[in-house]
Amino acid sequence: MAKHSPVTGRYVTLEVDGREYKVFYLQNGTGTPLVCQHTAGCHNHQWRGLLEDGEITKNYNVIAYDLPRHGKSDPPHNREWWKEEYKLTADHFCNFVVAFCDALNLKAPIFMGSSFGGNVALQLALRRPSRFKAVIPVEAAAYSPGFYLDWWRHPSANAAQVCASGVWDLMAPQSPDMDRWLTWFYYTQGSEAFKGDLYFYSVDHDLRNELQNIDGRRCPVVMMTGTYDYLTPPAESENTARQIPGGVYIEMNDIGHFPMSENYPVFRIYLNEALRIIRERTSR
Amino acid sequence: MKGELKAWAGKFEALTNGDETIAAMSKYYTCTFIYDMEQARILVEMHDGKVKRIDTNPGPMEPCDFALHASAATWREFAKPVPKPMFHGIWAAMFRQDLKVAGNHLALMRNLRNFTVQFELLRKCGVPV
Repeated sequence: MAKHSPVTGRYVTLEVDGREYKVFYLQNGTGTPLVCQHTAGCHNHQWRGLLEDGEITKNYNVIAYDLPRHGKSDPPHNREWWKEEYKLTADHFCNFVVAFCDALNLKAPIFMGSSFGGNVALQLALRRPSRFKAVIPVEAAAYSPGFYLDWWRHPSANAAQVCASGVWDLMAPQSPDMDRWLTWFYYTQGSEAFKGDLYFYSVDHDLRNELQNIDGRRCPVVMMTGTYDYLTPPAESENTARQIPGGVYIEMNDIGHFPMSENYPVFRIYLNEALRIIRERTSR
Repeated sequence: MKGELKAWAGKFEALTNGDETIAAMSKYYTCTFIYDMEQARILVEMHDGKVKRIDTNPGPMEPCDFALHASAATWREFAKPVPKPMFHGIWAAMFRQDLKVAGNHLALMRNLRNFTVQFELLRKCGVPV
């Protein structure tokens, strides 16, 4: 008897800023859509624990896509993309997320992303608060400089290993070896996109003067950051949340920058609290 | 102190040479680096994933590819079985603590997987400062 997971994968074709993308996504569950963005240079397997969490999927329709150029989502099919340097911008990233939610006809989804996905969650709360029920920026901050580095694709080094081991310290030493090495493995697969993703993360994303314009009452913002995250340390996330009217900050102990992937049993404790807060704030 | 350094070097060498994760991808892990712990300087020469030489008293002009400089207090945190946040790796400590990496960064990047695994062996053998 085959041992199938309840998670299914599909492709959807959509257009964003004149680019045609065939996007791969994983899905499981029913109820409020919970749209999940992986971290830079990675893919949707980071959400494998959440996708198979029966307690959450009985009330939430969990959808984790591969951003174009990641995992099974190709670069645009209608452009000679190999003739231009990939540099993800805040505009394009936001437009993609909205186009994806529109393509799946998702009503009032919750958007959750980690790292650069957390930063785009903040951007969405600012730009498109009426499109989302709430956002959960994980390991995010108003500004996250310092990671747009040439080392991620230096011709004299093994880019796959540099990317994978370059983010190793972003995980907590307490996280299980198996999950840390799986995360490492995922990172060996995304090196070609990593630097371009980080253009958004460390250069184009800067909301330091915009946080007060995010309406956390209209679109609740629940930020969560792990204590072992050196890129966006807890103080940075807390400081960001404090400046957002109605913003909430949850500190996650003994976990790092890839919480859903490096230690899901710990992450889900905090995620359940974030979802409880969102239910409370959106049921009034 | 000299005897302690020698004993530590022997322990670190045995841990490195017996590490299965390094052994799984050991070919070409060849480089020379210095751990500068403020109160001790350790030169480690690696060849194809095995320790070729550990010098616990290298001269000031001893050639190496790169060197890690940090205070003794930082090195002691590195070597705890479960280090505190921001002392849990070289990247964390470069971004948030006093660790500086000097020399040929390319040599570090070329060997980053195994160097990182080996660095974490300090959590098992401690540091001699």
